[in-house]
Amino acid sequence: MDLCRADDLSPPATPPGSSVSSSSPSPTLLTRPPQRLRPNYSDPSLGDMLIQPSALFSACELDHLQQVKAAFQQMDPQQKQYFLFEILNCCDTQQLNFVSSYIAPRLKIDFLKELPIEISLYILSFIDDPKTLARASRVSTFWNSLLKDETTWKTLCHKHHYRRRNSTINGTSLLGPPARRLDFSYREYFKRKFNIEAAWENGGKVSTFLDSLDPGLVTSLQFDDDIIVAGCDNHKIEVFDARSGTKLRTMEGHEGGVWALQFHGSGEPGDHRILASGGCDRNVRVWDLDTGRLLHVMRGHTSTVRCLKLRDKNTAVTGSRDNTLRVWDIERGVQKFVLLGHQASVRCLEIHGNLAVSGSYDSTARIWDLDTGRCRHVLSGHYSQIYSIAFDGDKVITGSLDTSIRVWSAETGQCLATLHGHTSLVGQLQLNGHTLVSGGSDGCLRVWDLDSLECIHRISAHDNSVTCLQFDDRRIISGGNDGRTKLWDIKTGRLIRHLTHPAKTVWRLQFNDTKAVIVMQRRRSTNPDESRSAMELHNFDLLADDPTATVTADEDVDMA
Amino acid sequence: MVQLLSSDNETFTVDKQVAERSILIKNMLEDVGESDAPIPLPNVTAKILKKVIDWCEHHRSDPVSQQEEVNDRKRLTEIDEWDQKFMEVDQETLFEIILAANYLDIKPLLDIGCKTVANMIKGKSPEEIRRTFNIVNDFTPEEEAQIRKENEWAEDR
Repeated sequence: MDLCRADDLSPPATPPGSSVSSSSPSPTLLTRPPQRLRPNYSDPSLGDMLIQPSALFSACELDHLQQVKAAFQQMDPQQKQYFLFEILNCCDTQQLNFVSSYIAPRLKIDFLKELPIEISLYILSFIDDPKTLARASRVSTFWNSLLKDETTWKTLCHKHHYRRRNSTINGTSLLGPPARRLDFSYREYFKRKFNIEAAWENGGKVSTFLDSLDPGLVTSLQFDDDIIVAGCDNHKIEVFDARSGTKLRTMEGHEGGVWALQFHGSGEPGDHRILASGGCDRNVRVWDLDTGRLLHVMRGHTSTVRCLKLRDKNTAVTGSRDNTLRVWDIERGVQKFVLLGHQASVRCLEIHGNLAVSGSYDSTARIWDLDTGRCRHVLSGHYSQIYSIAFDGDKVITGSLDTSIRVWSAETGQCLATLHGHTSLVGQLQLNGHTLVSGGSDGCLRVWDLDSLECIHRISAHDNSVTCLQFDDRRIISGGNDGRTKLWDIKTGRLIRHLTHPAKTVWRLQFNDTKAVIVMQRRRSTNPDESRSAMELHNFDLLADDPTATVTADEDVDMA
Repeated sequence: MVQLLSSDNETFTVDKQVAERSILIKNMLEDVGESDAPIPLPNVTAKILKKVIDWCEHHRSDPVSQQEEVNDRKRLTEIDEWDQKFMEVDQETLFEIILAANYLDIKPLLDIGCKTVANMIKGKSPEEIRRTFNIVNDFTPEEEAQIRKENEWAEDR
């Protein structure tokens, strides 16, 4: 049998006796190249079988074998099967092994190549592991070209939920004109998103800047793609380049500590960033953040401005220790309304549409109409000072020194629920959809589902107060008075990792999809009694510098 | 009852309900109306048609899923035990079942076939994939190095 030429081997046959079906090839299955069934002779597995037959057989024997072969070719399929059955029964194990290893690869099919391309792509759609897909693209030139098909990566983006409404890879710049989307590639997009996720998990590029801020206290922080702004207790507002971390300017003017600030605008031509700030000197200042120019000083409050929010580039709302809120026209630099009603210091406020909500040390929260300056509802129920507030236009959430969280209807002003669990003051709240995350002076983070009003995760996050927190649909970052910054998986409540080296205290933090900024107070190594500021800039988009990374689509790209 | 005629002229008699797992046949029956003439299936051999009919018999009363996209996550991994056994065939047969399911428009069977192939790919190195499907590495060493580099990003998360 050794002599049977390779190109004469028929497709496998079942042994005689079993039901034999016709083996005539279906005339319609033309997608399969016939060569596949006729392997050529140069297969390395043949090894020394390539030696000349004349070295093994006499001319007479060779002639006889030729006749046998010819006879075989004349047989009908059933006869062929019987013939093979007879031959194989003459073989010992070694020879059967040879037959087996010789035949095995020929019974295999390159499915993705042989099937119609739409079925091949459909097969790939059942693979959600990018590692497998990346490896598959290294199999052969055909597989490589197949794996470049966008459908696969689009599906994968969809499966990995790489579509996020309120956040962007490159922030606002992704909302570019459609022309910029022409070279959009789902494969590149997936690759970049995947790498960003990996960097969050394992650590991105961290730059630390020491002593660039007030060593005493940083009260407020906000950043976008270009700049980082920090308000300090030393009267100053510092502006840094968000990419390099270098200081761009210091804005001085406040005569007391800056306690609240917010900016609005992108810095694009025609959309200057406008910054409003307030603090101990009772004044509200409006700045052109791109030039550093002071635009307005607005007087009215009679005590420290404790909280400030911008409704848009024209309107600011402030809350003060003088028990009032004030609504300002920051374009013209004039006061529009004084919102009277609170009986004690206004600690926190939030805006949605034309409504503002405020939380006060008088234990109540109030809902205000910013168009009329009228108070719509007084939210009474807490037994003690309100320290934190969140508002989505529909629900108002308040956190109080009485350790409870209350959920209120903005429409009716009624208390819908009281959430118990924290054992100390609830100083941090963020609301997004039906998810609420609260942080307390008990060092705990709690993740609440507002549909069921249940606490989904109770996380013992810090040894001391939670000083700041933020979450998105994947993660929570919390900072504490214990000097730790921790990254949590919001789905499982699991600690992913510590984000920073331990500091004395964490003041403020903010993150988006690709960056996080954390400002902290550290001990000076030469003198532990002395404090210094540290600002850490974490970049998770490590491929951004890669010229091949051309992700230029906005996030509303249809992933369905 | 419906008669089906394979490409190699073997006739199979099956329940209408079973035959109508194939959308192709279902549509044909609707177009043609009641008729005793066998339906020719020139793209399917008797051997594969028998397999396909076995599958349709077993799944004759499965609900027709309208919301396949909703079950996207589930769709990814699960093949039920009977189907798994059903798909324990040589690659040639699997290949032809997939083609037949596609031709006959039996989406759940196509899904199982494709999932089976996908599972043969999952978790394998390029070399293991080549061995599984007897594929020749036709990259030049330079191309291979380049493509390895291009795909490093997915490794070692």
